[in-house]
Amino acid sequence: MVFEFKLPDVGEGLTEAEIVSWLVSEGDTVTEDMPVAEAETDKAVVEIPSPVNGTVREILADAGEMVPVGNVIITFNVEGEDEPPIEAETETEPEKPAEAEKAASNGESSAKGGRVFAAPSARRLARELGVDITTVVGSGPSGRVTDQDVRAAAEGGKDGAQAAAEPTTEPEAEPASDTTESSGAQAAVSMQKPADREKTLAAPATRSLAEELGVDLNAVPEVEKREGQSFVTPEAVREYAAAQTEAKQADVASLAATSKEDERVPYRGIRRTIGKQMERSKYTAPHVTHHDEIDVTDLVAMRSDLKEEAENRGVKLSYMPFVMKAIVAGLKEFPYMNSMLDEEAEEIVLKKDYNIGVAVATDAGLMVPVVKGVDQKGMLQVSQEMNDLVGKARDRSIARSDMQGGTFTITNFGAIGGEYATPIINFPEVAILGLGAIKEKPRVVDGDIVPRHIMTISLSIDHRIIDGAIAAQFANTVKNYLENPALLLLE
Amino acid sequence: MVVGDIATGTDVLVIGAGPGGYVAAIRAGQLGLDVTMVEKNAYGGTCLNYGCIPSKALISATDVAHNAANAEDMGIHADPVVDMQGMVAWKDGVVNQLTGGVEKLMKANGVNLMQGTAEFAGENTVRVAHGGEGQGSESIEFDSCIIATGSRPFEIPGFEFDGEHVLSSREALALDEIPEKLVVVGAGYIGMELSTVFAKLGTDVTIVEMLDDALPGYESDVARVVKKKAEALGIEFHFGEAAKEWRKEADGMTVVTENEDGETSEFNADKTLVAVGRQPVSDTLNLEAVGLEPDEKGFLQTDDQCRTDVGHIYAIGDVAGEPMLAHKASKEGHVAAEVIAGEPSALDYQAIPAAVFTDPEIGTVGMTQAEAEEAGFEPVVGKFPFMASGRALSTGHSDGFVRVVADEESGFILGGQIVGAEASELVAELALAIEMGATLEDLTATIHTHPTLAEAVMEAAANAKGEAIHTLNR
Repeated sequence: MVFEFKLPDVGEGLTEAEIVSWLVSEGDTVTEDMPVAEAETDKAVVEIPSPVNGTVREILADAGEMVPVGNVIITFNVEGEDEPPIEAETETEPEKPAEAEKAASNGESSAKGGRVFAAPSARRLARELGVDITTVVGSGPSGRVTDQDVRAAAEGGKDGAQAAAEPTTEPEAEPASDTTESSGAQAAVSMQKPADREKTLAAPATRSLAEELGVDLNAVPEVEKREGQSFVTPEAVREYAAAQTEAKQADVASLAATSKEDERVPYRGIRRTIGKQMERSKYTAPHVTHHDEIDVTDLVAMRSDLKEEAENRGVKLSYMPFVMKAIVAGLKEFPYMNSMLDEEAEEIVLKKDYNIGVAVATDAGLMVPVVKGVDQKGMLQVSQEMNDLVGKARDRSIARSDMQGGTFTITNFGAIGGEYATPIINFPEVAILGLGAIKEKPRVVDGDIVPRHIMTISLSIDHRIIDGAIAAQFANTVKNYLENPALLLLE
Repeated sequence: MVVGDIATGTDVLVIGAGPGGYVAAIRAGQLGLDVTMVEKNAYGGTCLNYGCIPSKALISATDVAHNAANAEDMGIHADPVVDMQGMVAWKDGVVNQLTGGVEKLMKANGVNLMQGTAEFAGENTVRVAHGGEGQGSESIEFDSCIIATGSRPFEIPGFEFDGEHVLSSREALALDEIPEKLVVVGAGYIGMELSTVFAKLGTDVTIVEMLDDALPGYESDVARVVKKKAEALGIEFHFGEAAKEWRKEADGMTVVTENEDGETSEFNADKTLVAVGRQPVSDTLNLEAVGLEPDEKGFLQTDDQCRTDVGHIYAIGDVAGEPMLAHKASKEGHVAAEVIAGEPSALDYQAIPAAVFTDPEIGTVGMTQAEAEEAGFEPVVGKFPFMASGRALSTGHSDGFVRVVADEESGFILGGQIVGAEASELVAELALAIEMGATLEDLTATIHTHPTLAEAVMEAAANAKGEAIHTLNR
């Protein structure tokens, strides 16, 4: 009897995974629960156990291949009656298409009553690009689906429907940048240097042509002067557009051209997850970053006093638990800092848990283990838990659940170097605090220049939810606790 | 296959050269496919030969006579004499010019033309029986087939078409003399159009309809305008009566009708036109040979690429389901040909406009107010009566109105109903608006030529926004 094993849903919401390596070969004998493959999901590498006792009949996916959940990756010969092949049903897999369909039909689609509000040309484009236009959210007048929305959806793949909701601002033909490396692009630039005027005269037809070609009229080299103003012709616009396109193509070509020394690394797994998450955060939440410095001289003294005692109790005490406690104090005072935006319900959810994530650089990329209930735990317990989680993240033995449920994140960029940075919010949280290194710097205290321990901070906020004033007040609270660490005793 | 019979091979076989089939054949030819067209009767199908074109030709011709004879208000006194044979000859000329054009276009696009009746002999083979004795038959092997066999008029029991007393629409359009008395069975659009033609030619027309009103399928206020005008032309309506039987008389025929209670009435006439609808022609194709089965009404089920359940066989036009409209057939022909050629084509129209060439005309497209509500919209409706249109008054035809249905929140145009002069032309603006996803604002902000009937569309849209200038707002 042949047993077909489908790639199971190894984590919530996962749609595909990369098979990192096979631990068995065809013909091998396997027992139930014996690991047969390693798969890299969006968060971690997991082992995939055999569901049966038997021998490996056929391996159907190559190491390094991305496999959609539900695809058969391996078949086993199993002792038993000669029955038709049975399929290992994964719990979520069969429901998925139905759910997806439902989501599409209930989603913010413009297809009410079978109607799609889009010009026939846009509908044809959707067919050409393989986009289901009923799932595209339109950005045109009254939500009409435009060509651009369809293109955005096609490029964004699954997320396209959402991406299309935001009007694309990128002009189709970007003016070529002067820093372009490729020779083709340079030639184009020198031929067609953008003019960057403030006012340009042109016939209405020329203007509409420019719009059509995505060309800024003020960038088109002038053809002649009329009434003291620069005047351009349709030919000049076309020429300029062609040069831009050429430059762009040269850019693409230079990117695509690889010499033998170049190495290509697949953009996959954790790297891609981080990338997507960052992209989503950056382009969803308008980021504003508030910078400040904190005089932590007293904190440095306090920590060094407590460090030995903590070590006696088996805990390595860093500054991080103090910062986490100070942050919780700030979050309690400014509850919107500890919130998320439920866009669908149009509600801001004020979180009552204080789960603080700590961004950790690992060999595989950025991971954010979360210490839960920081408000209810003592300094040593917080410290102990954080140390454990960070260790697990580094050796990639961390469980997915330990990286979920965060309400606020700290990133310690100073550990490696740097004073200020622009941290990207760990979406859907609304703020992130970046810490610089603690350095001794000269500061003026009571009129004297004295050496002080200074830590710089960079607080990024989602400006949709948090105003700059709140961010500054929150930072002041955190600052107050860290400058006067004895206050933490009250927390 | 007959022994010794060598089949001709073709990429695409199109069965039926009506407005669906010939468009499909030409488009497939344009896309570089080898196309064979099999037609049983005449190129152009029902539309060009026995439907749209001849009926509209006669409607236009009779309008000329009627309008001239009824222009006393304009100070014109005339008593036109209609030479029916001359009128029919002119109509035939129009038809011949068009069908000849279709044949030429097909040839120019490399379509192999074949006269005969096709029936399936296998999944990729049809046999074409050539008309007439000794003409023989031949086999054609195809990769893809487009069934475009169209429809034929329904007969009702006891009223089999005989071409003399009981006429189908096709025969009525070929009459070479004007009947004195005509009974028309059916007050649908074909019955109403032809009744109007004959009434204007001076025929005494009686319409017998089983249902309670004329033009079922159209909103009552739209149908009312047409019925009122028909009555003014002298057409007599008998609703709730079904044609039961007829008998020959010395001076023509007597038609017996029966109502729900079993009471009968008798009408004397020269001829009876039976116009109770059309049925798809799917029974002559030997569909079993390819494993296709039409539904109970005889229609072939297709997807949005005109594909039947058998992947390489397509169906378009009347045989592929309601609405039975030439322009729907043409669109489907276009799509089927492109799909076969591997293009990303599909039927994705938002609405199909329809026109009825009564007096006045009806043009509709998209949703009515009730349909919009049912689809989950909150519709807003704007109306403009032609009585308030300068152009309508100056033509002497001011019956009817334009109604625009839109989504109140977004302003998107959802549908429109027009009854009045040139409604068949005016509806095109609303069809374009729907396809483009235009809003009421788009219609009102578009400058319309003055003085034209098209201004009524703009005014109706303005009315829906509560901004009409030339009528009181709703």
